Amino acid sequence: MKNKLVVRFLVRLTVFSLVLIVVDRLVGFTLKKIYFNQRVGQFSQTTYAIDSARQDIMIFGSSRAVRHYSPTILSEISGLSCYDSGRDGLMIPYSTAIEEISLSRHIPKLIILDISPRELGIDKTKYEKLSILLPYCEEHQQFIKYIKEVSRYEPEKLFSKTYPYNSSAFILANNSLFSKSVEKDDNGYLPLRGAMTRPEVKDYIKRMTVRSKRIRQNTELAEAKAVNYFKQFLDNAAKNKIKTIVIISPTILNNAFYLDNQTLERDLIEKIAGEYPNVTFLDFSTDPRFNYHPEKFADVFHLNKQGSEEFSTIIAQQIKANL
Amino acid sequence: MLFNSIDFVIFYIVVTILYFVVPHKLKWIILLAASCYFYMAFVPVYILILGFTILIDYFAGIYIENEHNPRRRKLLLAASLVANIGILFIFKYFNFLNLNVNILLNKFNYHNPIPYLTILLPIGLSFHTFQAMSYTIEVYRGNQKAERHFGIYSLYVMFYPQLVAGPIERPQNVLPQLRIRHKFSYDLMQSGLKMMLWGFFKKLVIADRLSIFVNSVYNNPDMHNGTTIAIASFFFAIQIYCDFSGYTDIAIGCARTMGFDLMRNFNRPYFASNIQDFWRRWHISLSTWFRDYVYIPLGGSKVSGKRRYLNLFIVFLLSGVWHGANYTYIIWGMLHGLYSVIYILIKPYLRKTPENKIAAALMRMGNIALTISLVTFAWIFFRAASLHDAFTLIRNLRSFGARPFIGDGVSNFAQSVLAIVLLFILEYKIEYYPEKFNFFSSPNILLRWGSLTFTILWIIVFGVFNGGQFIYFQF
Repeated sequence: MKNKLVVRFLVRLTVFSLVLIVVDRLVGFTLKKIYFNQRVGQFSQTTYAIDSARQDIMIFGSSRAVRHYSPTILSEISGLSCYDSGRDGLMIPYSTAIEEISLSRHIPKLIILDISPRELGIDKTKYEKLSILLPYCEEHQQFIKYIKEVSRYEPEKLFSKTYPYNSSAFILANNSLFSKSVEKDDNGYLPLRGAMTRPEVKDYIKRMTVRSKRIRQNTELAEAKAVNYFKQFLDNAAKNKIKTIVIISPTILNNAFYLDNQTLERDLIEKIAGEYPNVTFLDFSTDPRFNYHPEKFADVFHLNKQGSEEFSTIIAQQIKANL
Repeated sequence: MLFNSIDFVIFYIVVTILYFVVPHKLKWIILLAASCYFYMAFVPVYILILGFTILIDYFAGIYIENEHNPRRRKLLLAASLVANIGILFIFKYFNFLNLNVNILLNKFNYHNPIPYLTILLPIGLSFHTFQAMSYTIEVYRGNQKAERHFGIYSLYVMFYPQLVAGPIERPQNVLPQLRIRHKFSYDLMQSGLKMMLWGFFKKLVIADRLSIFVNSVYNNPDMHNGTTIAIASFFFAIQIYCDFSGYTDIAIGCARTMGFDLMRNFNRPYFASNIQDFWRRWHISLSTWFRDYVYIPLGGSKVSGKRRYLNLFIVFLLSGVWHGANYTYIIWGMLHGLYSVIYILIKPYLRKTPENKIAAALMRMGNIALTISLVTFAWIFFRAASLHDAFTLIRNLRSFGARPFIGDGVSNFAQSVLAIVLLFILEYKIEYYPEKFNFFSSPNILLRWGSLTFTILWIIVFGVFNGGQFIYFQF
């Protein structure tokens, strides 16, 4: 009797598991189709950056890369084609992964890495967010070592064909159903609209000062693994003899990193960049053309269209002068 | 070991198979070894602390039972309780007390020579200490025979499904079950697995999704306006419920697949129509622990009005202290104490439920909304990292109505809202129509398997798989 029950349970469990696998594959296949057929939005930008981008200038970084560099302006002034591979919320491990895969396919003339000191700080979310590389792992095995940063068992989880599209359903649905309302990028560039106001900046300074008192009690510490990813990024460029510009783009306050307890990380970026002869380091965080100019910022972290165009012009002139 | 990890899935499958394969007399050894391994996956050396409390309470139970002199029995019980609370004090409260002594002495220009302890809090310490204490108290009261089998007693304290975050069991429920010959039961196995699935859904799809937004707000309390803080606080109310009850569902389900029946810990608390009702539905195993071992011994509700209010307040204050050595928990406990006392005071003056069905439903909805609001306000203290943060958040609540920040993107926020809506629909169904739409146990196999497949795929599509540990593990 007992054995009969066990056998019955095991048979049902096996059949159910098979059904589940089939349904998982069907859903996964559908999501894959939708994902790789995206024509707008950040998924399509990432797919383009990974599989197709062959421009002369390649920009890497997080949301500040996406929002601050206009490839059109950079191309017009420098005479070189340009693509912005940055992605919102992603940091140095992601930049390194995308750079590695891009360089295996194409060697650009110039690489721009937009980096923020917080990317070298202790924050495990920068690794968790590498899960956005999951849809590409089937085609690009090089990404496996990066997704292991998300969790030890990430490669095994890829047995599920639905899992790579985890947490993407809303964006996929939105970009497919309302593609016309999704803002189209200009070679990866997505400028932000609107402008901050003086009272908003004042309020921000007040909040940052209060916060600073609290967080400045913590020991400032860079994260070794993040630093290694930064070095690896620069190594990849150096190995391929590519001129590289490491940029800290403008901030609304001129002491943002001091208030944020990130001066050590900022100095580390400069020091490491200085170790590579092919690398130029540019810090715009204390540039008076941007500091305390709320009309050039969409929010406390990002330039708006006006600010990013002015900034892109400055960068383009630097490129023209140095290349 | 975290329930929401692949390691646990492997562990669970291996242990469950072994449990049913080995002869009855060896089952306790399998479970005890598995529980040790489960606990040691966190910080191995802390198993020694657990071993120490187990030894003390095991012998205390036997000595109390053998002792007929009431005074000595009381002394033995006191010794056992002091040992348990002493361990809890050293690991959980010593540094907090030392810090406060330090602050006080500094005010008078004195130096506190006592150093801080550089030790980590053993995971789930408050849970298994309370479970161990309930054993000696019940033996003392004569409600439970002392357990002579050291292995079985150890398993009572260490049974892995409920070792680190409860339910805080009573010996009368668990000890007899550890001796019963549990045969494989098809019904219990599938009902347990379904319960585990629902627990994983609550944890991965709801709690961990909400935590993304909650963390972004609560980690930067100075940076957000009132609307954002109100939304984050409401999200946290749902997060902590799904996190903790999700854990409990996995624990109860996991035990059930092996034939064990653990006590219920939650009963849809956000459908409570007043604060007393809330505490009858929230963390039931802890509230009944405090009721049985603190509130009733203090006189319970059989004492004068003022004394009763004081008793209630003490219980909630202790409940706050139980959660952690931080003023935020203490204030959280005091707030609930205050709510409860005020509720008892105003209860006679409250309007009775109207006979009109619509009016009654509206009144109930209003009461539920008010209870959720009060509970959510108290959660601000519970979640904030410090009192300073809590008061900053409350101060910033004044700008309620300003445009909210919705986090890293619309997608996460939309998934959070969808998760909450889904939870309320499901809980509403269970609360008001418990017999209807039970898809998981429908006699129609298509409906049953369809709903199970749908739930698993929903977890894969919308779940957060790197959400980390359960909130209550820290207690």
